[in-house]
Amino acid sequence: MVKEYQIIARNYDLAGRASSDIKRTLKAINLPWDLIKRVCAASYEAEINVVIHSVGGYVTFDLTEQAITLDFYDDGPGIANIELAMLEGFSTATELDHANGFGAGMGLPNMKRSADLMELKSDSYGTHVHLVFFRRNL
Amino acid sequence: MKLSEIIKQFHCHVYTPELAIDKEINYAFCADLMSDALMVLNSVKDDRILKESILITGLTTNQSIRTAEMLDMEVVLLVRGKIPSLKVVELAKELKIILLATDYTMFNTSGLMYKDGIKGIIYNQQW
Repeated sequence: MVKEYQIIARNYDLAGRASSDIKRTLKAINLPWDLIKRVCAASYEAEINVVIHSVGGYVTFDLTEQAITLDFYDDGPGIANIELAMLEGFSTATELDHANGFGAGMGLPNMKRSADLMELKSDSYGTHVHLVFFRRNL
Repeated sequence: MKLSEIIKQFHCHVYTPELAIDKEINYAFCADLMSDALMVLNSVKDDRILKESILITGLTTNQSIRTAEMLDMEVVLLVRGKIPSLKVVELAKELKIILLATDYTMFNTSGLMYKDGIKGIIYNQQW
């Protein structure tokens, strides 16, 4: 099963809508609760990151017998220093982001913690976050 | 502790009266930063614990409701007399999340709940 969702920059009203639909999809096929929660927490963090830091992007959701794969793509401006961005507490977010309960530099570390596999590519044209969650219990 | 007792003790305004079933609340977590809630509550391995939990926050935006949704939590308590906007209340109703609000501060709310035996959720601690 493959799905795709648009993510709009700076739109906090719609932020989380893609992750919400991904959650409903996973619940409908009765995947283990713990796996759903890990996917949703990482997906929500990644979605918020696109809302906060980019000019907009999209996410693809791919469900197979073996794994759930999420790919977040945005159109820039990219992460200047990936090593720094992966550190807990490092953030370039603004007051608006803090007022919405995010932007404390925990997004990428939380994604890494939740996912079984995480790859991050970024340049000035955009960022690609690749997250894989294995369906171990099957 | 029953949810109805919490509503009474903290003089809560119930924004979702149609959802307010009287359920048992035994655990709690408080944060204004939703990344912290996602990280700590995501470490809970037993779904029963989150079903019996309350998220205490001063964040009145959609994101507190979305965070509860992602974690399968059913009750959000807004503190410090914060008033959510209509769209936040509508989202809570749509996602079947009980939304409450109290004038008590986060510290006092948490302290009183702790005194009444509600346990605080800790990262990676399983009960």
